[in-house]
Amino acid sequence: MASGAATRAAAGAAKVVKPFLSRDLDEAKRRVRELYRAWYREVPSSVAIFQLDITTRQGRDKVREMFDKNKHVTDPRVIDMLVIKGKMELEETINIWKQKTHIMRYFQETEEPRPTDFLSKFYRGHDS
Amino acid sequence: MLSLSRAVVSGVVRSPAAVSQAGVTAITRFNSTAQTAPKKTTFGPLADEDRIFTNLYGRHDWRLNGALKRGDWYKTKEILLNGVDWILNEIKVSGLRGRGGAGFPTGMKWSFMNKPSDGRPKYLVVNADEGEPGTCKDREIMRHDPHKLVEGCLIAGKAMGARAAYIYIRGEFYNESSNLQVAINEAYAAGLIGKNSCGSGYDFDVFVMRGAGAYICGEETALIESLEGKQGKPRLKPPFPADVGAFGCPTTVANVETVSVAPTICRRGGSWFLGFGRERNSGTKLFNISGHVNTPCTVEEEMSIPLKELIERHAGGVRGGWDNLLAVIPGGSSTPLIPKSVCEDVLMDFDGLVQAQTGLGTAALIVMDKSTDIIRAIARLIEFYKHESCGQCTPCREGVDWMNDMMWRFVRGDARQAEIDMIWEISKQIEGHTICALGDGAAWPVQGLIRHFRPVMENRISEYQQQARA
Amino acid sequence: MSTKVKQPSLFHWWLKLRSPLFWSRRPNSERVMLRLPTVGRALAGAAKSSLAPSNTVRTSVQAASNMVEVFVDGKPVEVEPGTTVLQACEKVGVQIPRFCYHERLSVAGNCRMCLVEIEKAPKPVAACAMPVMKGWNILTNSEKTRKAREGVMEFLLANHPLDCPICDQGGECDLQDQSMQFGSDRSRFTERKRAVEDKNIGPLIKTIMTRCIQCTRCVRFASEIAGVEDLGTTGRGNNLQIGTYVEKMFMSELSGNVIDVCPVGALTSKPYAFTARPWETRKTESIDVMDAVGSNIIVSTRGGEVMRVMPRLNEDVNEEWISDKTRFSYDGLKRQRLTQPMVKDGSGQLTATTWEDALTRVAGALQSVQGSEVAAIAGGLADAEALVSLKDLLNRLDSENLCTEEVFPMEGAGTDLRSNYLLNSRIAGIEDCDLLLLIGTNPRYEAPMFNARVRKSWLHNELQVAMVGQSVDLSYTYDHLGEETSVLKELADGTHPFCQVLSAAKRPVVVVGSSALQREDGAAILGAVSTIAQNARTSSGVEEGWKVLNVLHRVASQVAALDLGYKAGVDAIRKNPPKVLFLLGADAGCITRADLPKDSLIIYQGHHGDVGATMADIILPGAAYTEKNATYVNTEGRSQHTRVAVTAPGMAREDWKIIRAVSDLAGVALPYDTVDEVRARLEEVSPNLVRYDDIQEANYFKQANELAQAVNQDLIASPLVPPQLTVKDFYMTDSISRASQTMAKCVKAVTEGAAAVDEPSIC
Repeated sequence: MASGAATRAAAGAAKVVKPFLSRDLDEAKRRVRELYRAWYREVPSSVAIFQLDITTRQGRDKVREMFDKNKHVTDPRVIDMLVIKGKMELEETINIWKQKTHIMRYFQETEEPRPTDFLSKFYRGHDS
Repeated sequence: MLSLSRAVVSGVVRSPAAVSQAGVTAITRFNSTAQTAPKKTTFGPLADEDRIFTNLYGRHDWRLNGALKRGDWYKTKEILLNGVDWILNEIKVSGLRGRGGAGFPTGMKWSFMNKPSDGRPKYLVVNADEGEPGTCKDREIMRHDPHKLVEGCLIAGKAMGARAAYIYIRGEFYNESSNLQVAINEAYAAGLIGKNSCGSGYDFDVFVMRGAGAYICGEETALIESLEGKQGKPRLKPPFPADVGAFGCPTTVANVETVSVAPTICRRGGSWFLGFGRERNSGTKLFNISGHVNTPCTVEEEMSIPLKELIERHAGGVRGGWDNLLAVIPGGSSTPLIPKSVCEDVLMDFDGLVQAQTGLGTAALIVMDKSTDIIRAIARLIEFYKHESCGQCTPCREGVDWMNDMMWRFVRGDARQAEIDMIWEISKQIEGHTICALGDGAAWPVQGLIRHFRPVMENRISEYQQQARA
Repeated sequence: MSTKVKQPSLFHWWLKLRSPLFWSRRPNSERVMLRLPTVGRALAGAAKSSLAPSNTVRTSVQAASNMVEVFVDGKPVEVEPGTTVLQACEKVGVQIPRFCYHERLSVAGNCRMCLVEIEKAPKPVAACAMPVMKGWNILTNSEKTRKAREGVMEFLLANHPLDCPICDQGGECDLQDQSMQFGSDRSRFTERKRAVEDKNIGPLIKTIMTRCIQCTRCVRFASEIAGVEDLGTTGRGNNLQIGTYVEKMFMSELSGNVIDVCPVGALTSKPYAFTARPWETRKTESIDVMDAVGSNIIVSTRGGEVMRVMPRLNEDVNEEWISDKTRFSYDGLKRQRLTQPMVKDGSGQLTATTWEDALTRVAGALQSVQGSEVAAIAGGLADAEALVSLKDLLNRLDSENLCTEEVFPMEGAGTDLRSNYLLNSRIAGIEDCDLLLLIGTNPRYEAPMFNARVRKSWLHNELQVAMVGQSVDLSYTYDHLGEETSVLKELADGTHPFCQVLSAAKRPVVVVGSSALQREDGAAILGAVSTIAQNARTSSGVEEGWKVLNVLHRVASQVAALDLGYKAGVDAIRKNPPKVLFLLGADAGCITRADLPKDSLIIYQGHHGDVGATMADIILPGAAYTEKNATYVNTEGRSQHTRVAVTAPGMAREDWKIIRAVSDLAGVALPYDTVDEVRARLEEVSPNLVRYDDIQEANYFKQANELAQAVNQDLIASPLVPPQLTVKDFYMTDSISRASQTMAKCVKAVTEGAAAVDEPSIC
């Protein structure tokens, strides 16, 4: 919703707003592809180094899923921003600044929505 | 007659300017015509007819018959019938000060009891727990003149409106307490005390209570506690015993000697008693002389007698001559000692000894010649106080023990020079910070030692250090 | 003179003094009594206030003209005559250091820490004991004062072991704090230190006597507040020791308070030893539920575990003391707990299950039977929130069978008039009364804090106490009128000789123990007591607001349950056995399996696997008083609430929530989801339940008495015997204290001697 509005605004003001990294959408897409390739190549070694209980295939599927999550984005500046963030994640992964748990967070959402009705709260625990 | 003599006395007391320097006789009698009494300058020796305790040495019968022969119980009824105010006035006129050590004016103390009664009975408690090292005056009274005490109880009791007297006697005084009990029984049998004492219509009982030998029970509030059957530990003041004393009732605690002289004062008149000794230090007094003298003795003498004369005349002089004197503890173990130089001309009374930075205390002289290890002597005294501290309040409980440990190191010389100042400071931290006066009494001997014999202590330390080095 | 001696009042007093009884009951340290006996105290009003400062009773406010002006460091302050220097300083906010002085104990004045200089006085005075004189200038920070303090502090530390790193008092030690503030920064003491042998005075109090500074606070506490002469000093001088004379247990139900009273680490808590430091614990203000007094407490917790329980100041309830059961039974909270829901399986074994399963079964059981076939019993530790939810639930199921384990006669006015079942005079009110008649109760063990208040009044206000019931040691003397119920009858008729005394009393109070009302003739006893009280009130001519009749309860839940409309006693259930029985913490064993039909279902909700849980088919684990925010109403009718100090263990839940969840599944959902909403419901039912720390007046004695006359019941001849007679019966009375090892040790120590539970000391 917000990104959609941003895209429209960007389209309307493409000439006015200073480009961020990429001059146009094609260049932005090129950067995305580069990043995707880098991640694709990195997955096997990460699985090995972090001793993840997943296959390379699962890892690559997850990478693809993460990229697909943002495929609706068309504003080159937003894409650039996401690419930069993706690179940072990648760097952290390659350099093992991350720990196993951080990697596995891509696969499992830890936060569950809190229950609202009395009975569910009661079953859940003491303080909900 | 009464008011007149009081006016005369107060005139004397208030006008020190009107003092003549001329020599006067040892005994001055005031009469109504004399406007100002010349002041005495020489004191003692006491004439035999002026002695109050005429059987001090037990040469005569101590029982009722003998006492009657010596004039005890003579016209006691009349004294009682003269009334409270008359007795109090005589005591006030006499200038008698408490003989137990503190020297509080007796007349004033007894008159504190004359507040309107709130329904509680009043008691006289006689402090016969004579435990001060060197002191043995009350012992002699109770041994050889117990009727003086019993009669004194009656008169003092009348003066303060007391219902009964409790004589708290030191546990070690077994024979004395039995003599005293015999005297009391005799007095009861003769109707002198008890219901309608001496036929005066005044009911008065006298009880003897034997202590268990604790020095601290000589302190008035500790004595009351002990009398009540509790641990002999001093109470906080206020409330003073005159408000809340034995068994919660107004009580006056008086020394044996103070009480025992009261009948004689009443018979012979307060002004007679006032005639002895210096102003504010009047009367006769029992002196105990012990230690390095040729004939240790207890003797009744006039107040303000020079110390030297007292020792030379009654105690046969210092062992090995006056020049062999090292120091004297003039008032029982808790008063600071005075060296020979001070002893030369000091007068034995309250003010004279206070001027010499010591006190009259119980007037028990402990004479020490040059063979004495003065540090060891004081250390032994501190050990006594350490042993007798009741342990109730902190400075005394902890401080005296600490001083004791240090003093015995000083005896060996196993100390540093700076520790002399430290023990002085510790003694000052005890003095005046305790519930009762035992803390003061323990602190003073040390202070006296440091004041007069610091070089001796320093020498001992350096000798020890030299030995250690060798 | 002699005529004065024969004045009757004085003579009486004199006899009292001389009698050996007087001395045997008030030996040694009762200096308050000794220093200011009856007559003297009446007259010396000034001295009185100084000796019993906290005693607000009967201390009329002095007229302003009587005030004495003194100066504290030059600041003028007006104080009542007889105020001590220390109190005058406190009035202007200057704190004087002290060790031996404690405002609820008599003044000993022996630590000498409070020495202050008075301008123009030769010696410093002990501020705790010295009454101020007009115009004194108290110098609290002068050179002389500071030197005196430093000197005393040096002496105190001379023989103190300085083992703070291994001392349990560390962090809350007066000696530590004051030596930092007032002491010297270095020590000059080089002699040998004194060491004192430790004493075994029972399983509650650990002694490290070398640390003792001989302030005698514990001795004074024991003889004045606790009323036992167990502690005292032996030896003298530097060898003075605090102890029990011969090695024995310090046998008092209030013994734990000496731990708080001790300014150093000489007396510390044995169960708490080496377990926590004060700065690492979290403190939660709460309420005690071990008896019906509702003592105010602080629960110290660390990491979800209760480390200790300490008293919290409440002048109206427990002052600053608590009983040993309150203080030491907390280890029972960690044992025998129900941590997960359980249901009986096919073989009759209780097996752990999920909440869903357990609650569904409960709801199914409730739905499967007629409303009238469901009943509930509330136990002694139930809170008001749970009680109201349970009542709402059963009412929605069309059942009115709610009752409490504790019996209260329902005949006559029964529980309809609130004044009938409260301690109307209040605990603090005991200090105003002059005659107390106890009937069939042993307050010393049923309500130790109430008993301490009675003793305080007996000691300071000449309170006269009389008792009907088995003779027990109450820590004060009383007139024992007999233990037969016939005495009550005679008292009610006015034929008993004691009626003379009763009618002469100005402000009489009659207290009947709840155990006396448990008997079959409870209604008759209550009727008789009510008549006695009514007669006493008429004859005393006391003002309208004064209440005479009082009931002393023994369990924390009872008043709230009666306020909420629970029926007292399980007779109805016994007569009309239900198909489904809901036990809310009912552990007294009033109803057993044998009382019910074979096919009936028992649901137990509570926190301990005690009597109730063993006979249950379904167990719902609830929270104990330290684990929930819950309302309790004490025997006075004072509502107070606990706070959550730790989380309930395992799957245990707050009680009202469990009932609320059951209601949801049973299809009769209760209309509250939060504790505030429950309290709103409580307010709807009975507003006094949520007016915290407030007491609603109840005053229908006359009507109650009239209704009681209508009761047609006769007194049974058997004697009135309260269930707790000796200290042995005191320690284990409810599911928490029964689970406590410490309490078990106490019972063992009482029966077999302190040496029986001696543990090798670590330090």
